[in-house]
Amino acid sequence: MPRLRLSDIEVHYQQSGQGPDVVLIHGFTSNLAMWAFSGIIEDLRSRFRVTAYDLRGHGLSSAPASRYTSADMAADYKQLHAALSLGSAIVVGHSFGGVIGMHAAAVYPETVAGVIVCDSYFPGLAHLEPSMPEAEVWQDLRRTLAQAAVEIGERVDFRRLIEAVANLTPSQTEQIKEALGAPGARWLAQLGSLVRTTAAEETFAVAGLSADVIIAVQQPVVALYDEQSPFFATCRFLTERLPRCKMDVIPGAAHLALLQNPAGFVEAVGKHLDDMAQAAGTISRPQPAMQPLLG
Amino acid sequence: MNTVETVFDELVAMLRDFDGREFSGAIERESWFFADLGLASIDAVIFGEKLEARFGRKLAFGKALADLARAGRDDFQIGEVADFVCRQVNHPESD
Repeated sequence: MPRLRLSDIEVHYQQSGQGPDVVLIHGFTSNLAMWAFSGIIEDLRSRFRVTAYDLRGHGLSSAPASRYTSADMAADYKQLHAALSLGSAIVVGHSFGGVIGMHAAAVYPETVAGVIVCDSYFPGLAHLEPSMPEAEVWQDLRRTLAQAAVEIGERVDFRRLIEAVANLTPSQTEQIKEALGAPGARWLAQLGSLVRTTAAEETFAVAGLSADVIIAVQQPVVALYDEQSPFFATCRFLTERLPRCKMDVIPGAAHLALLQNPAGFVEAVGKHLDDMAQAAGTISRPQPAMQPLLG
Repeated sequence: MNTVETVFDELVAMLRDFDGREFSGAIERESWFFADLGLASIDAVIFGEKLEARFGRKLAFGKALADLARAGRDDFQIGEVADFVCRQVNHPESD
């Protein structure tokens, strides 16, 4: 398994393809498998060098006790960028991954050529999203877990969720598997790796990425939000206030476009990457990729 | 020339001690990667990496995972992987 040693962690990553650099950053509580299952790596590798990695505390990367803010994660990105000798990269960040991408664009601008922000909530823009603590996606999860007598509270509280998951009985695990489906149950099961970390709290810290810092980002940005996004006020803010920001919408999705409309997500990201790379003069017009027949 | 049977045996050996986790239950062609072996989504990515290391070539395993997801499937059988690897290794021109 490809791994890199950074200052205080080991990072698991995958890299494939040739062309301008694209870095995929997953969201909080996810891992790089989300990109693999969406098909986006296969789609992009014919015209980009695609690097995906597991954030600290996620997937196969180390899970130290602390340093989980977007500032810490942006510093990890910078180290990974240097260790892999990447060119200035377009970052595609889903959810918290988009926050990290914007943080890196602001603090380490030489490493980021552009950012595609995918349905991200920014702690520094929390004032725009007063209903975030009661987000519908959380209420759906709460209702589902309640079927297995697991209570996570009415307001978004990842500490409570992570600790609840770490203490599930086998019977509750089975009930949750039935209610959430196998992929949902697998997602829940891997949260246990975060129980002895400060990730649940630090992920929601502003950590220096205030509104003023965000709108000072000069690189091109695409605000790619889901049709039923809980964070549309953030999308509007980015589109209106950033100097070089386009907006686009993924139909039929509500924060989890990679699962809810993977084809639409992959198509939109590919199109925006092509546009950004062409504007930067780093690729010519892409040709349709020849895909192997697996049968 | 690798046969489906020899590839399947290789896969079973890999899965018996997967990334430091031992699995002592039965592993059949019909065994499901997630449901029966209790593995996680990131393990599918690792499995792909291990397959490439073991068979010494790039495999389109990522595309296979994406195709499964797009077909609405959330699991795969070990026999399917053996068939897939055998095709890829014996017929690299199909890439």
